[in-house]
Amino acid sequence: MSELLNENVYVEKTSLFDFHNKMNAKMVSFGGYYLPINYAGGIISEHKHTRSKASIFDVSHMGQIEINGPFVMEAMEKILPISFSRVLPGKIKYTQFINSEGRIIDDLMIHRTNNENSVWLVVNAACKEKDMRHLKKNLNKNFTINLRDDLSLIALQGPKSELALSRVIPCISSMEFMSSIWVNYKNYKVLISRCGYTGEDGFEISIPNKNVTSFTEILLKNPEVKLAGLGARDSLRLEAGLCLYGHDISQEITPLEAGLKWSLDKERLNNADFIGGYAIKDELINGSKRNLLGFLPKGRAPAREGTLIYDSQDNLIGEVTSGGFSPSLSIPISMGYINSSLLDQKEVFLDVRGKKIPTEVVRLPFLSHNYFKKVN
Amino acid sequence: MADIFYTKDHEWIKVDNGEGVVGITAYASEQLGDIVFVELPQKGMSFDQGKDVAVIESVKAASEIYTPATGEILEINSSLEERPEVINNDPLGSGWLYKMRVLKPEELKSLMSEEDYNKLIGAKS
Repeated sequence: MSELLNENVYVEKTSLFDFHNKMNAKMVSFGGYYLPINYAGGIISEHKHTRSKASIFDVSHMGQIEINGPFVMEAMEKILPISFSRVLPGKIKYTQFINSEGRIIDDLMIHRTNNENSVWLVVNAACKEKDMRHLKKNLNKNFTINLRDDLSLIALQGPKSELALSRVIPCISSMEFMSSIWVNYKNYKVLISRCGYTGEDGFEISIPNKNVTSFTEILLKNPEVKLAGLGARDSLRLEAGLCLYGHDISQEITPLEAGLKWSLDKERLNNADFIGGYAIKDELINGSKRNLLGFLPKGRAPAREGTLIYDSQDNLIGEVTSGGFSPSLSIPISMGYINSSLLDQKEVFLDVRGKKIPTEVVRLPFLSHNYFKKVN
Repeated sequence: MADIFYTKDHEWIKVDNGEGVVGITAYASEQLGDIVFVELPQKGMSFDQGKDVAVIESVKAASEIYTPATGEILEINSSLEERPEVINNDPLGSGWLYKMRVLKPEELKSLMSEEDYNKLIGAKS
């Protein structure tokens, strides 16, 4: 068998490192951190548990950035394709840092806080330093940009998340999806955000590093809650059709190509008054080069990242950017890009180890989202 | 009485009367995690020792299987096509991959005994 384990060069530990080991996690390096790929139950059972109940994921590798200063929202609008006039205080927006060519530097969540001089960002682990440079370059000296590595981040994901978290912090029951609040818990403060990366209802919770293990242990006392690792996180987000930076999106890819037009503010796009705005407006008028789609290869062989996509005449028309086995559907699923001139293909062929697998082209997501909707 | 040999790449071969049964070790199965797909060679094909003959895919990744000995494929475990998870459940038994005619039995000397293999994985964990 080919080599199972890669030796790591230098990898950081999250505050939950000892806890993961105690819980018999299988650790891997990801984004420069040691994190659990799975615990004893394995990826498929953790995946299914998340879809039916609730799971805790350590996502402390993510960068949490606090930016403070007068008129910070106006300043951030010069960098991001969003309009804070359409994001109420306490709400969260999914967006991207875009370069002047209209390509994605990173994707992130931005929180409009109840303090008009403060915004909160959650960015990808591997992009932290790049994002900090981008922010420092594009925000003037009046702003303080603080990478909050004093805080850990855990995600509680799944349909029983609200039930479980409300036993610990009752006030979260009234929260809307894509909103956040600071809550006093015991003698410390936690930031609770109702959002996630699995397609399910759920929360991300920022907790001081020294409190994160005890908080995680308290959450785990809920009978519905188990631990889950990066393996399940990846298969969950793939089923939900959510892009993974460095794979489905990157500095080669534009938001329009990645199907993220919904996240761009229409008026801002029309005015093109943010970094990369002109390039994106131009792409909107002239069309994108390629588009992100879903693929269902026949049979059981997973078609993973890098798998080439052919049309029925054997022309190379695209490439898979994420692919694997869907535990919920029990079939292989992939997402990837097809040249936009060939978008009307209903059937394509994925080259898996030299075999051309007939493959149905589908829209994303593979599994419909199950986000919380408030009933008024 | 069959003899069992191990490779450093975590395959095992059980040889009895010139015929070998090949599979992956419990350690390998555990490291791979949930197995979701197996691609096996065709009956009648011949391979040299160390050649990649099969692919096992877990949720995480694809791994190649290198044949522990030179020989001809006599039978494949076709039940794995529908139920690849059997490898996780019983890697040394019903999760076997293929049977082969061992053409160069002298090659088996280059493989590890159970004791040596256990030392190898003991050093890893």
